[in-house]
Amino acid sequence: MTRKRTRTHAFSRREFMRVSAITTAGAVVVACGSGGEPAAEEAAPAAEAPAAEEAMDMGTYKEAPMLADMVSSGALPPVDERLPSNPGVMPNAGGSNGNYGGVMRRGFRGVSDRWGPTKMQDRGLGWYDQDLNVQPRLAESWTINDDATAWTFNLREGAKWSDGAPFTSADLLWWYDNDLLNTDINPSVNPRWQSGGETMGLTAGDDYSATYTFNEPKPLFIYETLRTTARIYLPGHYLSQFHLELTDDADALQAATEEAGFNAWNEYYVDRRWWYLNPELPSLGPWKADNELSNELFVMERNPYFPFVDSGGHQLPYIDHVNHRLFETPDVFELRIINGEIDFQGRHVSLDSFTLFKENEENGDYSVYLGYASGHTAIQLNQTTKNPRLREFFQNADVRKALSVAVDRVTLNELVFDGLLTPRQYSPLNSSPQANMGQASAYIEYDADMANQLLDGAGYSEKNDAGQRLWPGTNEPLSFIVEGTASPGTQGEDAILQIVKYFAEVGITATYQYFERSLYTEHFRANEIEAAFWGGDRTVLPIVAPWIFEGTMIDRPWGVAWGLYRSSGGVDPNAEEPPEGHWIWDIWEIMDQINVEPSDARRNELFTQVLDIWAEELPMIGYLGEAPKLVIVKNGFQGYLEGFPLDDTTGDEHLLHTETYYWDNPADHS
Amino acid sequence: MLLYIVRRILFMIPTLAAISILSFAIIQLPPGDFLTSYAAQLSQEGDLVDEAELEALAQRYGLGQPVYVQYWKWIKGIATKGDWGQSMEWQKPVAELIWERLALTVVLSMSALLVSWFIAIPIGVYSATNQYSILDYSMTAFSFIGLGVPGFLLALIVLYLAHSQLDMNVGGLFSEEYMLAPWSWAKIMDMLAHIWVPMLIVAISSTAGNIRITRANLLDELNKPYVETARAKGVKETKLIWKYPVRVAMNPFFSTVGWSLASLISGTTLVAMVLSLQTTGPMLLRSLTAQDMYLAGTFLFMLSTLTIIGTLISDVLLAIVDPRIRLEQ
Repeated sequence: MTRKRTRTHAFSRREFMRVSAITTAGAVVVACGSGGEPAAEEAAPAAEAPAAEEAMDMGTYKEAPMLADMVSSGALPPVDERLPSNPGVMPNAGGSNGNYGGVMRRGFRGVSDRWGPTKMQDRGLGWYDQDLNVQPRLAESWTINDDATAWTFNLREGAKWSDGAPFTSADLLWWYDNDLLNTDINPSVNPRWQSGGETMGLTAGDDYSATYTFNEPKPLFIYETLRTTARIYLPGHYLSQFHLELTDDADALQAATEEAGFNAWNEYYVDRRWWYLNPELPSLGPWKADNELSNELFVMERNPYFPFVDSGGHQLPYIDHVNHRLFETPDVFELRIINGEIDFQGRHVSLDSFTLFKENEENGDYSVYLGYASGHTAIQLNQTTKNPRLREFFQNADVRKALSVAVDRVTLNELVFDGLLTPRQYSPLNSSPQANMGQASAYIEYDADMANQLLDGAGYSEKNDAGQRLWPGTNEPLSFIVEGTASPGTQGEDAILQIVKYFAEVGITATYQYFERSLYTEHFRANEIEAAFWGGDRTVLPIVAPWIFEGTMIDRPWGVAWGLYRSSGGVDPNAEEPPEGHWIWDIWEIMDQINVEPSDARRNELFTQVLDIWAEELPMIGYLGEAPKLVIVKNGFQGYLEGFPLDDTTGDEHLLHTETYYWDNPADHS
Repeated sequence: MLLYIVRRILFMIPTLAAISILSFAIIQLPPGDFLTSYAAQLSQEGDLVDEAELEALAQRYGLGQPVYVQYWKWIKGIATKGDWGQSMEWQKPVAELIWERLALTVVLSMSALLVSWFIAIPIGVYSATNQYSILDYSMTAFSFIGLGVPGFLLALIVLYLAHSQLDMNVGGLFSEEYMLAPWSWAKIMDMLAHIWVPMLIVAISSTAGNIRITRANLLDELNKPYVETARAKGVKETKLIWKYPVRVAMNPFFSTVGWSLASLISGTTLVAMVLSLQTTGPMLLRSLTAQDMYLAGTFLFMLSTLTIIGTLISDVLLAIVDPRIRLEQ
């Protein structure tokens, strides 16, 4: 990470126009990205310059017609007063600026599907650009000290909540003091806010700057501030009334708590804190909830105070409303898609129905965009399984290599996935900053002879008449059960059955068993699992979410007892210390270095070492990856581009700034 | 009669208590709890599973506590405050959720029930009195098809046909502009424009069954001596059939009212799932798969209560309709 090389460039309103003209000439440094070098804001295309000048002539920002009406009727202050002195300038992925108005229609599956709508309007201190470097968002800049133990964020002066109240460092502090550290609300502090086992400190420099301090270096802290899943700020001016320690009227709070059917104030407070359950909650996102998510139709309406503009000085978002409509079964959702009733969605759009969607593109007046899913078709051989013979078998690296080359990935791809995937190991995606071609292609060539030789050499050369390999010195066929949650009739089940067939060709008897998900969960938690078939994801920015690579994400159970040992510090009853000198110790040591390494380049270098171990040891075996992820985009819907990764870490289809998505003809979509 | 009803109602109290324990226990049977299925759902969508959040939720819902403590909390809330608990999945009080959907469900199921009997009785009577006629055969064929085709399949076919042939969308009970609108004349008309599709789908399979029942019962009655007697005395044929044997043949209608009460809530589940109707059926199913225990428990409890009340009602109705039946031992 940079050593105080950050440039803090505060835009004044007048300056903004000048700068937006400069951006047309070249890249302008606005702040420090996640990378070691200050990242450049994407250049706006030259075609936008006239628009910027026009805005400058008028000396004012522009706003949506529906807000202009409210301003003229006096219901809302003018746009210049609503925006901060240096609003964030959001680049439009398509290059050109958009039109105001229209509705975006999507589908959702109920309150527990809240993360779909949430990702759409969730705004953190920073966010990714198209190269997945972190750029400023609600914060206008930040600085990091040499050893990454102190992070100072500068907020946008004059930014406001959706109710018009100022957004300042006090809102960060309010969250920190009254929510994060309040044990009634938050029984234990999430490790993301800790380093070296100690919770971070937070102090406000002035109204617009705040500093987070850590015991030990926390170079990856910026990634915790991008989304507000675990919050990072809260509207204290509104939420205080629901907080027993801060409210003016404790009796009224008590009465309201009972009225709403909660047992205690903290439950009621948590309920009021969810944006999708409480439309009153002030927001900083482009849209705010207009009703509750428990309805059949969930409506989001533009936030008139959203502190971001496009390069032409138009306040964002472009689109007026986002409507999420409930569906009970995937069939109904798919019917809506082919009927043209879904405007923009990747979530819940299943690859299984690719053909159906393509066939109806014209009919439904939409296009199917292909992005990349982070998932992989992979199996996990539990190297800490309780059966000692099987454990020895799985712990042999030659066995894992044999089971990797025993499968013809090209044919598997054609048979099950119409050739849409790419043969590869479980590995960071090609578009990831941590991509590693060597590891991705380690032992992926189909070679049954090599598989047989490896298995023979590992001491499993005896076979019975049926061609099954035997446990050494016995007549019992060597066999194991692969558990998975891919239910009958799915592509996933087809894939694992095909893989098991390839195993049988080299004499390995494996049986696939479908388990209901919660039973599967019980099995791997208790280390009662021999092998599993579950795709590997978290491959867009694995350095931020390396849990599969280090073995601690035990639903991918390639070494359950070891993973539990690391994640629980050896306390978990099923945890087991890996043998001395085992390669997993090397992975963990490197990961520990990465977690405190301030330099971006050095971190990637270290992660390459982890991947080198993976290439040699194949902790879990990947077969296919780079799966296309479908995004349904109605024709005339602009701002999202084809070919981007879709992953939780990077906000799925909301990666490219949802506020800049727009309609060519908003009038047709109101 | 009054004494009988009072005694039956008193018997209901211990039965209900036992049922409440049973329904709560059943929900606890599958492995895991709401949080494991919630976490599983998250990872299915590729979302981050935040262990700290799960822990906080477990504490908030008291999921770590022993089953009997959870049960006691739930039943105490119901008995003392009429509080059915919070739905974990919907994050709303259970009572609020259920009432919202109950009205729609009852409208849909009731109308389907009435339509079904309205069609079935005349056809059944015709089939019985004109046994082995061409119309009887064709009605029989229709009934067998109706019985054999599951409602959800019919719903899927209707969905597809409506989409591909008529270019209309039959999912849901309301158009988008009325979904959130308060009740008004226009909203009711909008609902009526949508509700007939699911109503007919639900009605068709039960109609088929009811035709068969009416026909078979009536055939039994038609040969009885009292029919002969009436005919011999010169009662007009139409009046004779409708006044005596049909009345007796109607008994199954009344004796099944007891179960229909419960199926008002859960009977249309599959069709409602397929057509995305906001009725109680899909909610019941999801509360069970998501192990949303207070919601599921309330549903099971309510269904059982309705069955018990329904049985009582059908016993009383039968006694009123059929003078041959006596309630007192």
